[in-house]
Amino acid sequence: MVVSRISFAVGLGLIGIYFALPSGGRTQSILYDVIGGSAAVAIALSIRLHRPRLWLPWALFSAGSAFFVLGDILFTDETPPTVSDGFYLAGYPVIAAGLLLLMLEAGGRNRRAALADAAIFTVAFALFQWVFVMGPAVRGSGSLAEHVVGGLYPAMDVVLLGAFAGFFVSPAWRTPSFRLLFAAVLALLFADEIYGVDVGAYSSGDWIDAAWLLSYVLWATAALHPSMRELSEPRREPSLRVGFARVAVLAAALLTVPFVLLVQALRGKPLEPYVVAGLGSAIGLLVVARLTGILRALERIRLRERAARSLAEETQYRLALQNDELVEADRLKDEFVALISHDLRTPLTSIIGYVELALDENVEPPLDEERHSYLAVVARSSERLLRLVDDLLFVARLQSGRLALAPAELDLCQVTGQAVEEARPRAEAKALTLSFLGSSPVVIEADKGRMFQLLDNLISNAIKFTPDGGRVDVRVVPALDGAVIEVSDTGIGLGPGEAELVFDRFFRSARAHEQHVPGTGLGLFIARAIAEAHGGTLTASSTEGSGTTFRMELPSRTAPQPEKAGEELVA
Amino acid sequence: MTNPVVLVADDDDDILLLVTTRLKRDGFEVIQASSGDRALELARERRPAVAVLDIGMPGLDGLQVLEQIRADEELREMKVLLLTAKAQESDVRRGYDTGADAYVKKPFSPADLSTRVRELLDGA
Repeated sequence: MVVSRISFAVGLGLIGIYFALPSGGRTQSILYDVIGGSAAVAIALSIRLHRPRLWLPWALFSAGSAFFVLGDILFTDETPPTVSDGFYLAGYPVIAAGLLLLMLEAGGRNRRAALADAAIFTVAFALFQWVFVMGPAVRGSGSLAEHVVGGLYPAMDVVLLGAFAGFFVSPAWRTPSFRLLFAAVLALLFADEIYGVDVGAYSSGDWIDAAWLLSYVLWATAALHPSMRELSEPRREPSLRVGFARVAVLAAALLTVPFVLLVQALRGKPLEPYVVAGLGSAIGLLVVARLTGILRALERIRLRERAARSLAEETQYRLALQNDELVEADRLKDEFVALISHDLRTPLTSIIGYVELALDENVEPPLDEERHSYLAVVARSSERLLRLVDDLLFVARLQSGRLALAPAELDLCQVTGQAVEEARPRAEAKALTLSFLGSSPVVIEADKGRMFQLLDNLISNAIKFTPDGGRVDVRVVPALDGAVIEVSDTGIGLGPGEAELVFDRFFRSARAHEQHVPGTGLGLFIARAIAEAHGGTLTASSTEGSGTTFRMELPSRTAPQPEKAGEELVA
Repeated sequence: MTNPVVLVADDDDDILLLVTTRLKRDGFEVIQASSGDRALELARERRPAVAVLDIGMPGLDGLQVLEQIRADEELREMKVLLLTAKAQESDVRRGYDTGADAYVKKPFSPADLSTRVRELLDGA
């Protein structure tokens, strides 16, 4: 940025000096060439300085400027065609090609539109140029070569302006570099037009030189500005816009014909009907083509949007439908489980009850030992079946959000102690050491039945997964505003990643499977659900092979639960 | 001293026999009904000390029988224990609201049920 500013300031300074020097002098002429030459070199250097993705346009600008400078150096007042004319005329298409390349690169997907815009400009300007500049030059006095060269200059301006127009309306980044380039081309075209309208009036050191020199300086500044890099990057228009500028450009193109005719008529000059009609038709057709393109693009966008919208609507509809089905399926599942559980409980009442009657020791004649042992198995199995049914019913109720707590103040130590004592026969059957540590009272607010169920689940679980002769430790510790309960065992432990999975519904650890430990995988799921219903947390930690610790943190007060409507099931 | 009379009403014969057997072994005199209407009839005829009523019975259900008992000037003081497999909280609440003295869920241990009946008698 500093480089471009300095070069711009130096350029302006040199232009000032140029006009301070004696007009038409040799020094002035040399300074002119120095300014032009420096510009060509600066543009070439800018490619190395900024390393744009697309470097060719800038190389072409540098080459075009160099051609102009060579033309300037070799310039004489001889009648055309001269070598100087050759260099000048070669400079235009080279620069135009650079502009076209930038335009196409910037256009991205909209190249065709950019090209059409450029074509409309070119034809409109060609009409203007032919009628006001080229025609007179071609028809003027002098040799054929003079006519050809005299006509080629304005023709090259047409080429340059066409490319420039395309570049101007292209979606290129509107960076400082873009604006400088725009000004440079404008200055060049302006000077050319003034020169072309009356070639004879020009002499070296004329004020028109200021515009040409300014064009050099601006071009070099544009190339040295760091934002020239972005000019070579494609840019996608966010959406097709039929903006004021676009409409104004098309309207201006269409108005060229009446304007030219009017001016010529007023000047009393020939109307050139063939040229005007031909180029006018071309402009009209191009504008129609361009408008058709815009309309088609808008239609495409509209159709695409409509398709996208209907797709989104359909997806949404399907999703809603699917969701309804899922909710219904979930409800049916819960209902099914509740029904099955209830229907299982009724026959279980008979089984459990009659086995108890049969095992009654005060009845004569007493059962022989063998049958007694058989019935004991039936009793144990039916108790297990009943627990499973109760668990299923509990889970079904949890899933449908109908777990109601009846919280009351209780001594957690006492409830835990009770659960430990209830589990003691099972621990002793496996020769486990079952210890309980905790000093009453640890008072919290909780649902006593649920809390007992939870603790029983944890302790039973620990006993189940600890091999004969191991240990199960239960601790109750008062905590700040609550309590912590830990149940540790010296059991088989959890596999990697199982510490969280154990709380999933129906989860069974790989080790439990291997070692044929019976269970449904519901106990810990229920335990955590109860802990969470009390506003607490239940987590597991384990060292594989050397036991597991379950840690529960309970707040001293259970957050009040919203009253659930409807009938509530109780186990 | 004669044995206390207990009325047992359940439409399921197996449960009826189960409860009857247990209570008889524990020294109660048991009268059986397999419907609510029959239970109410027997209650008026025999004036049992305790009635064990199943809630889910065709015709007059356990709760309706309980209502009739509580509405009857002469039966009002009878102890009533409700049995249900329905396991619905609203039933439990309605049971207590209607004036049940105890509530036992199926499946139950016959020995426990017998203990509850004994407690109701002792508490009287």
